[in-house]
Amino acid sequence: MRKLTLFILLWSISTTLSAQTKIISGTVTDQKDNSPLLGVTVALEGTTSGTATDMDGKYTIAVPAGGGTLVFTYLGFSAKSVIIGDQTVINVAMERSEKFLDEVVVVGYGSQIKSQVTGSIGIVKGEEIALTPVTSVEQALQGKTAGVFIEANNGKVGSAIRVRVRGNSSITANNEPLYVVDGIPINTAPVNDEENLSLNPLNDLDFNNVESIEILKDASAAAIYGSRGANGVVLITTKRGKQGKMNVDFDYQQGWSKPTRLREFMNSEQYVTYLQQAAVNGGKYDFANGVSGYASEEEAIADYQSYLNDELDRLSGGTDWQNHEVNTDWQKEAFQKATSRDIGLSISGGTEKIQYFLSGGYTQQDGIMINNFMNRASLATNIDCKISSKAEAGISLQLSRSLNNDIPNDNYFETPLQAVAQAPITPLRDSTGHYTTEPTALYFNPLVETEFTTSNIYTFRTIGNIYGEYHFIPSLSMRVEAGGDITNLSQDRYSGSGSNYGQSVGGYGEVFTNTVENYDVKLLLKYNRTFKQKHETEVTGGVEYQPYRGFYSKVDGQSFPNDDLKTLASAAEIVYGTSVLDQYRFLSYFARANYSYNKKYLLAVSGRFDGSSRFGTENRYGFFPSISAGWILTDESFLSDNSTLSFLKLRTSYGVTGNAGIGNFQYLGLYSASSYNQLPTLYPYNIANPDLKWEKTAQFDIGIDYGFFDNRLNGELDYYFKNTSDLLLDVPIAATTGFLVQTQNIGKMQNTGIELTINGDILVSKFKWSAGINFAANRNKVVALAPGQDLIDEGGSEAMNVVKVDEPLGVFYGVEYAGVDPDNGDALFYINDPENPSRATTNDFNAANFVVLGDPNPDFIAGMTNSMSYMGFTLDFSFQSVYGNDVNLNGDHWMESNGTYFDNQTTAIINAWQQPGDVTDVPQARLTFENGNQFRLSRYISDGSYLRLKTLTLGYSLPSKIIEHVKINSLRFYVSAYNLITFTGYRGWDPEVSSDVYNTYSDPVDVGVDFYSAPQPKTVVLGLSLGL
Amino acid sequence: MNHKFSIANLLIAAVFFSSCTKVLDLEPAQSLSNDVALSSDEGVKQVLNAAYDEISLEDLYGGNIMRNSELYGGEGEVIWLGTYIGPQEIFNRAILVTNTDVEYFWDEAYNAINICNNVLTALDVVDEADRARVEGEAKFIRGALYFELVRYFGQQYKPGTPNEQLGVPLVLKPSENAEDNSAVSRNTVEEVYAQVIGDLSDAKDLLPEKNSVYATTYMASAILSRVYLQQEHYEGARDEADRVIASGKFKLVANYADEFGQDENTTEDIFSIQVSTQDGINAMNLYFSTALNGGRGDVQVEQSFLDSYDPDDLRKDLYYKVGGKWRTGKFNNEFGNVTVVRLAEMYLIRAECNARLGTQVGAAPVDDYNKSHTRAGLDAAASVTLDDILTERRFELAHEGQKVFDVKRLHGTVGTMPFDDVKMVFPIPQREIQVNPNLEQNPGY
Repeated sequence: MRKLTLFILLWSISTTLSAQTKIISGTVTDQKDNSPLLGVTVALEGTTSGTATDMDGKYTIAVPAGGGTLVFTYLGFSAKSVIIGDQTVINVAMERSEKFLDEVVVVGYGSQIKSQVTGSIGIVKGEEIALTPVTSVEQALQGKTAGVFIEANNGKVGSAIRVRVRGNSSITANNEPLYVVDGIPINTAPVNDEENLSLNPLNDLDFNNVESIEILKDASAAAIYGSRGANGVVLITTKRGKQGKMNVDFDYQQGWSKPTRLREFMNSEQYVTYLQQAAVNGGKYDFANGVSGYASEEEAIADYQSYLNDELDRLSGGTDWQNHEVNTDWQKEAFQKATSRDIGLSISGGTEKIQYFLSGGYTQQDGIMINNFMNRASLATNIDCKISSKAEAGISLQLSRSLNNDIPNDNYFETPLQAVAQAPITPLRDSTGHYTTEPTALYFNPLVETEFTTSNIYTFRTIGNIYGEYHFIPSLSMRVEAGGDITNLSQDRYSGSGSNYGQSVGGYGEVFTNTVENYDVKLLLKYNRTFKQKHETEVTGGVEYQPYRGFYSKVDGQSFPNDDLKTLASAAEIVYGTSVLDQYRFLSYFARANYSYNKKYLLAVSGRFDGSSRFGTENRYGFFPSISAGWILTDESFLSDNSTLSFLKLRTSYGVTGNAGIGNFQYLGLYSASSYNQLPTLYPYNIANPDLKWEKTAQFDIGIDYGFFDNRLNGELDYYFKNTSDLLLDVPIAATTGFLVQTQNIGKMQNTGIELTINGDILVSKFKWSAGINFAANRNKVVALAPGQDLIDEGGSEAMNVVKVDEPLGVFYGVEYAGVDPDNGDALFYINDPENPSRATTNDFNAANFVVLGDPNPDFIAGMTNSMSYMGFTLDFSFQSVYGNDVNLNGDHWMESNGTYFDNQTTAIINAWQQPGDVTDVPQARLTFENGNQFRLSRYISDGSYLRLKTLTLGYSLPSKIIEHVKINSLRFYVSAYNLITFTGYRGWDPEVSSDVYNTYSDPVDVGVDFYSAPQPKTVVLGLSLGL
Repeated sequence: MNHKFSIANLLIAAVFFSSCTKVLDLEPAQSLSNDVALSSDEGVKQVLNAAYDEISLEDLYGGNIMRNSELYGGEGEVIWLGTYIGPQEIFNRAILVTNTDVEYFWDEAYNAINICNNVLTALDVVDEADRARVEGEAKFIRGALYFELVRYFGQQYKPGTPNEQLGVPLVLKPSENAEDNSAVSRNTVEEVYAQVIGDLSDAKDLLPEKNSVYATTYMASAILSRVYLQQEHYEGARDEADRVIASGKFKLVANYADEFGQDENTTEDIFSIQVSTQDGINAMNLYFSTALNGGRGDVQVEQSFLDSYDPDDLRKDLYYKVGGKWRTGKFNNEFGNVTVVRLAEMYLIRAECNARLGTQVGAAPVDDYNKSHTRAGLDAAASVTLDDILTERRFELAHEGQKVFDVKRLHGTVGTMPFDDVKMVFPIPQREIQVNPNLEQNPGY
C-alpha cells in the first residue's frame, strides 16, 4: 500500500514550466454540480509539461504557439482531452468515471447501477475481449472473471467449449449456463451432425460487437431466469449507437499459430530396439506361464521374434528397418502451418431521434491440425428510434455465415493426431507417392484424409429481436420484445475412395441439414418510483413464451464413379436417410421488486413461474423465488469519513433456480421406430417416469463489494453454497429390465466456494498501470444418489470418470498403480482391500480394488490482467491458471503400452525394467501381453495444473498531432500473442483438455480425458485499428 | 394515446399469454406411447420385428456372439491383433469384470428378451391366424438368447448331474416400470436349459415351415439341435438335425465359397441375420475382414491352422494374406448377411451323434461326412471315425462361432486352460452387480 500512496503523492506534484509562447487558463469543475475541482492534473500531451488546479479549480499552463492537446485527469473522473487550437481559455467540466460504482450493469430483464446491485455478477467489457485471436466468445472470456471455469475441449478450431459457473450443478441434465444475447436466450446445444464432432454454436457470434458481458452467478441474479438459471446466466449485450458524430472503426489482424506443446516419441532405432526386447520378454513370459504351450523357452522366444520380424517387415514397407532407413516423425505430419485473419468494420452514431450501429466482420482461422479450418462472415445492425417522448422502438440483428472444415473426434482413426501411433519405420509415402496406409501402416493413416476427404459445415445464424417501449407515465412503462435465434446448418462430407470410411464402398457421401428455431416473445411492465426522496422502488413483471423447434434430416450415399464427383447426385446407392423433429416450449411468468432506502439499504425479491413441455401435466410448472439484501456501510456516518475505505457494501442472497436440461418426453413410456429386413419395427425406447420434474438448486451467497483510496483499489469477495436436489439423473437400472437407464429426480449435489476479485489502478499518471486479479475455489460434492446407490460407473473397462457419493463429480476411479516389481518387471497394483486397508500389492489387476484416483475438477482457478500505457504505447497481458485438476491420459494406454502393441511409444518408455534389481516406474515390455498398461489405472493420471500467459499485447497509437493531418481519429498498431507461454508439469500435450469423444454439452461426467486430443494453439498476431 | 386504451391492450396480451398454457402439450414426433404400440395387430408385429432388429446388433447375432466364441477358444488358431481391449481380454482369457463386450452382450440380450416378453403378453390383439406364428417367433428368439447367455455365463452342462451351477436370471414377463425384473437372481444352468428347451420346443410346434427370413419350425429345430449337442444329449441333437435335413427345405450350395458373404440367404442358410447397405451391421466383417473390405482386420489366422488343412482342400483357398497375415475370406462382404446356422452343420451334428450312438438315423455318418468333405474338393471317405467327423467340423465351420462351445462340450483345453476353468465363463458384468445386489458373481472374478 505504501507504494500506492507514494504514487498518489508523486502524481499530485506539479512540475514547473520553462518559458513558453502561449498561456492557457481556465476552470475545471465537476459536471454533476459545477463545483470546482482541486488538484486536477493538466498536462500537455506528448510532453512533460503539466500543472494542477487550485482551490477554485483554476489553472494556467504555458503551451507552444502551435497548440496541442491538453489532458485533464482526476481521480474518480474520466480523463478528458481538449485540442487547444486558437483558444486561450479552456474551461472543463469533468464527468465522474463510470468505472466502478456508477457503472450500469445489465441484469435479467433490465439494468441497474452497480452500487445498488445485491446479486453476484461478473462483468467483462467488450474491449477486454475484442480482437482476441479465438473463434468464440467464451474462449475470449477465459480467466477474466472469478468463478467462471472455461475450458476448450482441445485445440481443434471450432470445437466445443465447456463453461462452468460455480461448478457443476447437475449430473445428467446439462451444466452449461444460459446465454442471452440482447434479451434472446440463444441455443448453445450443438446443431451439427455430432457423429464426427460437436461444433460450438457460439462460433457464430462475432464477439468484436460485444459491448459487455454480465455473468449472473448467484440465485438472486439468476432466479429471474427460473428453470434455466441453475448453471448461471451469461448476458451478452451488443454495441449500440450513441447520439453524436459518426464513428468509423476498422480493424485488421493477421496471425500465425502452432501447438503449445509437443510430445517426444521414439525414433526408428529406439522403436526397433524396444520391440526386440519386448519380443524376447513376451516369449519368456508366454513359456513361463504356459500360455501357448511352447515346448521350451527358446522356442517361445524364437516364435515371438519371428512374429516381430514379420511385423517389422510389413510396417517398414520393404525398407531396411534393421538399419533404420526410414525415420518418420508422424507427430510433425499431423500439424500444419496455421494462419489466421480477422477484418472488422463498424459504423456507429446517431441523432437525437435515431441511433445506429452497423458492423461487418470476416474472420478465418486454420486449425493447427491438418484439414481443420473455419471462417465466418458476419453482419450486425442495431437501431434505436425515439418515436415520441413516450415511445421508443428498435431492432437488433446479428447475421453470420460460417464454414467449418471439421476433423473427426479424437476416437477416429481419421483424427490427425492418431498418426502418432504409426511406426517411425513406416515411410511417410509409399512408392506410388501416396501417403502410406494399411496394410503397410499399422493403422489407417489419417494423413490420407487430406487427399480424399472433404467436410464442410455451413452455418447460417440469425439472432435478432425487435422491441417497442411505451411510457404511460414517467414511472410506468411497458415493453414488448419479440425475437429469435435461428440456425440453418448444412453439412456435407465426402469420404473418397481412399479414405477410411469410403475405401470399401467406392466413396461415401453424407448430407445433413438442420434448422433450429428458438423464439422468444415477452411482455414486460416496469414501475419505477421514488417516494419521499428516500424510498426507491422498482418493480418489473412479465410473461414470456419460448418455443423451440429443431428439424434435421440426413441422407447418405455410397459408390461414386469418381472422387471429383462428391455430391449425392453421383452416388450409385442411397444407403441412409432420416429426418427428426424435436420440440419443446417454455411458458413463464415472472416478477421482481427492488427497494432501496436512502440508496443505502437494499432489498430485492424475485419469482418466476415456469412451465415446460418436458414434464408431465402433474409437474409441469415450477416456482423459482429469490431474495437478496444489501447494505452500503460506507454511507453510514461511522464510515463515511473514512479516508482509506471509500466503499463497502455487504450483500447476501438466497434463491432457487432450476434445470430442465434433459431430453424431451422422458416422462413417458415410449416406443420408437427402426427397421429390420427393411420392414418397420417398434422398439421400447424409454421406460416411463410420470414423476419426472425440475431439478432445483438452492443457492446462498454472501459477499462484499469494497473500494479503497477513492475506489482506486476495488473488488469483490463472495462466499456461496449451492445445494442441488431432485437431481435429474440417468439412474442405471438392471439390464434385466430391458432398459439401462431411467431419468429420475434423485440425489443431491453441493457446491461451495469463494471468489475474490481485486482491481487496482496502480499507476495513474502518464505511465498508467491497472491490474486485476480474480481467484475462485469451488468444491463440488455428490451428496446422494439413488437409495442404496453409491456409484455410477458407466466407464466399463476404459473410461475412468464416475459419479460417487461424497466425491466431486467425475472423479477417476480405478486401480492404484504401485510401480514395478524390481525382481521381475511385473507391474504392481495396490490391493486396497476396503476390509483390510494396507499398502499390500499384487501383480493381478483383477485382485486389486477400485479406489478414487484423481479429480478432474480444479482446486482453484485464477486470472490476472494487466494494462499499461505510456505515451501512446500500451502493454496488456493476462495470465490464466487452473490448479489441482487431474487428467486421464487415456491415449497413453497405446502410447506408453509396454510393448503390448506395435504403436510407437513416447520416449518415457525407454526406462522400462530390464533386469532384476532395476528400479523404475515403467514395467517390463512384453509383446502382446498387458503389463501395467491396463485401463483404469492411476499410472495414466497426470496433474493438469497450468499457468498460462494467456494474452500479451503490445500496441502503439500514433499521436493525434500526426494523424490529424490525414484526418483520422486514431491509428493503432499492435502485436499480440495468445497462449504464448504455458507452465505445467503435465505429461501429455496440453493440459487444457477434455476429449471431444465425449459430448461437452450433455456429458458433465466424462471430463479431463486426453485421447490423442489436439493441443491448444499458440498464436501471434499483428494488427492495426483505424478510427475515422 | 389514453391510458384506458393501453390497459385494454395489456389485458388482451395477458389473455393471449394465459391461453397459451395448452402450448405446453406437445406430442413426440418420433415415438409412440406404450399402450399405442402394443394395442394393435400391426403394432405387436412391428414390436416382434424389433426383437429381430435387436438380435441383429453387433453384440448379438450381428457377429459378436460368434466372434467371442472364436476368440475365447481361439488360441492356436487365430490371434487378436486389434486394439480394442474387450476382445483382447476375451482372447487372452483374462476378462475383467468391467469388460464392455461382455456387458453389452448381457445388456442387449436382455433388451431383446424384454421385447419378446412384451410380444408374448400382447398376443390377444394379434390376428388369430398369425397368433401361433408370432408366439413362436418370440419364443424362438427368447430361447435362442437364453441358450447363448447360459453357455457364456454358466459352466458347461454336465449330463446326469443336477447342474446347479449358476446360469443367468430367467426373465419371462415384460418390465412395466423400472422395478420390474430388476432384483432378479441367477437361475441354475439346469433351469435355464429347461427354459431354452421349453421355448424352442414351443417355437418348433408353433412356427410354420416357411416364414420369409424369419423364424421357422426348422430354425427352432436347428438351434434345438445345438442345445442338445451342448448338453451332450446326442439323441435329441441327432433327431432335430435330422428333422431339418429331412424337411428338404435346405440344400448345400455347390461351391463352398458361394456360401459366404451373400446379400441374400443361400439355399444352405437356415438362420441368417439380414444385412443390407441400408440396414444392419455385419460385425463378422468388421473384425475378421480387412480395411479394403470394410473391416478392421483385427483377427489373424495362424499359419499353423492353415497348414493343418489338406493341401487340396478348397476351403483353404478362402484364406488371403494382407499385410503379411492370413485372414479368413468368409466375411468379406460388408453388407452381406450374417449366417447363424447353416445346413452343413446339421449334417455334421447328425453324423457325430449317429457315430457316437452307433445309429444311422437319416443317413450313415460317412455319408453325412462326405457331404461337406467332397464339396471341399476332397475324395469321399469310405469310413469315418468320430475324430474324423470332429476334424471335418473344425475345418467346415471354422471361424463361424462354434469354437469355444466345441471345446467345452468335448472337454478340451484352450492353450493349457481346461474347458471348465473358472476363467472359461464370462464374469457377470460389474455394472449389473452394482445395480442388482441379488446377482452372484462367478467364481474367479
